[in-house]
Amino acid sequence: MDDLLVVLFAVVALIGTVGVYLQRDRFNKLIAVGIIYGGVVPFIVDRGYLDVAIAVSLIIPITTIIMLPLCRRQDHDA
Amino acid sequence: MLGEFLHILAAAAVSWILFVAVDILFKLPEAGGVSGASAIARDIQAGGGALSGGTMMGNIVCSPDASAGTLLAACGVYVAGIPGGLLAAALVFIGNRICHDPGYAGTTGAVLATFVVYAFTLVGFAATDFIAGMVIAILTIQGLSHTHASRLLARLWRFRQ
Amino acid sequence: MIALYVVAVIAVFGVVRATLERNTGRKLPFVNVMNFAVAGALVLLLDHPLALVAAVAYFVGSTLEANAIASTYAGGDRRG
Repeated sequence: MDDLLVVLFAVVALIGTVGVYLQRDRFNKLIAVGIIYGGVVPFIVDRGYLDVAIAVSLIIPITTIIMLPLCRRQDHDA
Repeated sequence: MLGEFLHILAAAAVSWILFVAVDILFKLPEAGGVSGASAIARDIQAGGGALSGGTMMGNIVCSPDASAGTLLAACGVYVAGIPGGLLAAALVFIGNRICHDPGYAGTTGAVLATFVVYAFTLVGFAATDFIAGMVIAILTIQGLSHTHASRLLARLWRFRQ
Repeated sequence: MIALYVVAVIAVFGVVRATLERNTGRKLPFVNVMNFAVAGALVLLLDHPLALVAAVAYFVGSTLEANAIASTYAGGDRRG
């Protein structure tokens, strides 16, 4: 992984992070949280930690599914 | 450099034809497999697109279908040859069941794509060309213009009917 | 290795389009483009049989996530 790829995947994670802050709708906030991990997983795989990458990829959607009912309950913007 | 780029574009055309043909053959534009696919189709129609094309795009988002099968089969052929592609097909089948999708479009697409990609590697293409080509193909469907893509898919779906 | 750069640029493009789109239903296909690009990039980064399993796990996981968000957005029962 050279410098250009580091910049590109870091941009993905950073746009996701800024998106979580800026989005108003709660579904859009959850989608932006998913975008952050899309930028993080390539860095884990590049170092060779494939088992960590598999575990993280399976834990993230479970986290989102647990967070979904919590987001539905509160109507005001969190 | 230029030759590799042309190879990627040719692989994109081949994988585009492959996954759209398999998806339309398995009647993905007919109905939303899960309720989320219908919601995406409704929003795309509200934005000026066609409903049946939007339903197919929603099904692509909500479940691993033939496009995911093509991408992962190309990855499998790059990593381990034909056994890798068939392993990817088995994993796509498990993913289909996890996502509550009753269809077999993903598994069929993965098995077909395994042999297509392997045949093209014998001619001089690299399996990496097909990975990048499949990403370009999904970009043309999902990422450029939802209105035009859904109308194009609806026209192809009317042709199959 | 031009394929890896193509895939990474498409991932950034999908993320930018997804962030600029305001409607949730039309935002999910752009995120789907990023998921395809990242799953391809994982295999291109590391040529190892377990990388295939990691790519499939990432792709199925993110698809399941999009499925759950879309189902709750539709107002129906939550699946998966």
